[in-house]
Amino acid sequence: MKLLIVEDEIQLSKSMATYLLRQGYTCDIAYDYKEGLDKMDSFEYDCILLDISLPGGSGLQLLKNLKADNKLEGVIIISAKDAIDEKIEGLNLGADDYMPKPFHLSELNARVAAVIRRKKFQGSSVLVFNELTIDLLAKTVLVNNKPVDISKKEYDLLLYLVSSKNRVISKNAIAENISGDGVDLYDNFDFIYAHIKNLKRKLTAAGCDDYIKSVYGMGYKFTI
Amino acid sequence: MKLLQKTIRNYFIYSVFILLVAIPLFYFSIQRIVREDVDDDLLATKEMLRPKISNALLNNAIDQLHFVDQNISISISTYTREFDSLLTVEIYDSVAKEIAPHRVLTSHFTVNGKPCFLKVKTSLVDNDELIKSIATVEVILLLLLLAGLFIINRNLSKRIWKPFYATLGKLRKYKVEKHEPLALSKSSVSEFNDLNTSLEELTDRTHNSYLSQKEFTENASHEMQSPLAVFQSKLELLMQTAPLNEEQAQLMGDLADASQRMTRLNKSLVLLTKIDNNQFAETENISVNKVLQIFIQQYQPQLYEKQIRITKAFQTEISSTANKALIEILIGNLLGNAIRHNYINGSIDLFIKQNTLIIQNTGKAVALDGQKIFQRFQKDSTDSNSTGLGLEIVKKICAIYNCIISYHFADNLHCFTVQFNNL
Repeated sequence: MKLLIVEDEIQLSKSMATYLLRQGYTCDIAYDYKEGLDKMDSFEYDCILLDISLPGGSGLQLLKNLKADNKLEGVIIISAKDAIDEKIEGLNLGADDYMPKPFHLSELNARVAAVIRRKKFQGSSVLVFNELTIDLLAKTVLVNNKPVDISKKEYDLLLYLVSSKNRVISKNAIAENISGDGVDLYDNFDFIYAHIKNLKRKLTAAGCDDYIKSVYGMGYKFTI
Repeated sequence: MKLLQKTIRNYFIYSVFILLVAIPLFYFSIQRIVREDVDDDLLATKEMLRPKISNALLNNAIDQLHFVDQNISISISTYTREFDSLLTVEIYDSVAKEIAPHRVLTSHFTVNGKPCFLKVKTSLVDNDELIKSIATVEVILLLLLLAGLFIINRNLSKRIWKPFYATLGKLRKYKVEKHEPLALSKSSVSEFNDLNTSLEELTDRTHNSYLSQKEFTENASHEMQSPLAVFQSKLELLMQTAPLNEEQAQLMGDLADASQRMTRLNKSLVLLTKIDNNQFAETENISVNKVLQIFIQQYQPQLYEKQIRITKAFQTEISSTANKALIEILIGNLLGNAIRHNYINGSIDLFIKQNTLIIQNTGKAVALDGQKIFQRFQKDSTDSNSTGLGLEIVKKICAIYNCIISYHFADNLHCFTVQFNNL
């Protein structure tokens, strides 16, 4: 899987590349508009991570060019502006997702995985880890081919943990992923603990190994 | 007290004082002048009579000396000393048939060695009438003069201060964030022109510093995003390094929390500058009831987590044309606060009556400072989750739509009321 990161903030693009590289993607980086344009014209990518304000031009223009060339790459817009109209414009131009800065790398990774899945497999896909199978189309979880009854929150949580497998995902990132904007209304992260506990209980009860590990002080990790 | 009242009041006090002093003064001085005149007349009569009396004495015919004028009488005196005395006496006037004041000259003098006694009187009735007429005319004149001065002064003041009041009215309407030029009209009074020029310069300067402050917040919050994103991403990469001991992991977890707070704060600041910049111009028809309903649904997990009971009493439907995002932020923030500052097993009551939304919740048993809560960074210091900008944002949104937001605390319930006036 090959990704293109178009982002002028060198340190941020490096971080993104490092994280995604460890997830098994190949990453190209473009630091400005022209470089981005050149790379998009010359290579095929599975997903492009596109910053909007770039030296030399707008990321939205790059998106327009891409769509004009009928390219099928998935595009995730990364913007510092967090402007609703910009988000709508980007999505209307054919972007697959929109992420305001700053974001969690684990969240970015999960979104990249989702975009690629949608593009490559038209949404029909299963993830298999030994005895654990996640059916992404039916949104069901099977252990040893037997369905496990888990809630939607728990399914989302499992998918999020799995998308960054073997990586520590911070409690903040998990909290934000499962509760969106309302995350700051919780007094503490106990609710994550409750969700994780339930998920682990249901999986192990179905005969699944305990892959979800708590990492002291930081968060959780799906280890395999 | 108004400026005009104040200037006119001083004129008025002075006028009344002058009137009160001038009227008796005037009356008595005229009276004195008339008295002196009468006295002079009486003495002149005496001097005129002296030769006649002298002749009559020589002829030993003092008793035959009779005057047509009943006001004069003469007789032989027993006094040897010579003196005059002038007195005002009430005497029955046979002509007017009433008691009237008279001026009486009684004079003792010696003619050819013989003491004489002369008494000359004159009625003061006519003189008093004259004095009264003169005084009345004068008083009327004085009153007219003062009234005229008073009215002219008031009208003149009104006219002169007119540009001042016009300027005051425009200043009152001036809003630094909108900065419509004051367009103060020229006046014939140079001081007012100076005032207007200074005010125009002042408002320009204020607006410019407002702009640069706004620009600074805007730039600062935007520029902050990139380093924040870098920080957060590096921290996440650092979390992936191994081996990590417990202490390091704990420190990184704390750092992640701090970075999350910075992010939240930054987002709120960006939102505030956007509201200031009128970047939420699109409007559509929105039902406050529906938005509230959506947020209750959205915050179900949080409400469940704290076991907060919610009661709803919607009597009417508040709906109108506004920006959807802003109304959502307004209601989301208020409801969010009611959850965040609540306790386990607390309650939230939502009322909609006519055009008013009331959000009432249990919480700390102490009233908040109603003056301070809507200012930025006035927050519960113990709560790291609140940015201290939520109510400031709410206030800004209310200001845009002319809503009135108020807070009160009663029966251990914190109550926020939003009156949607022009929605």
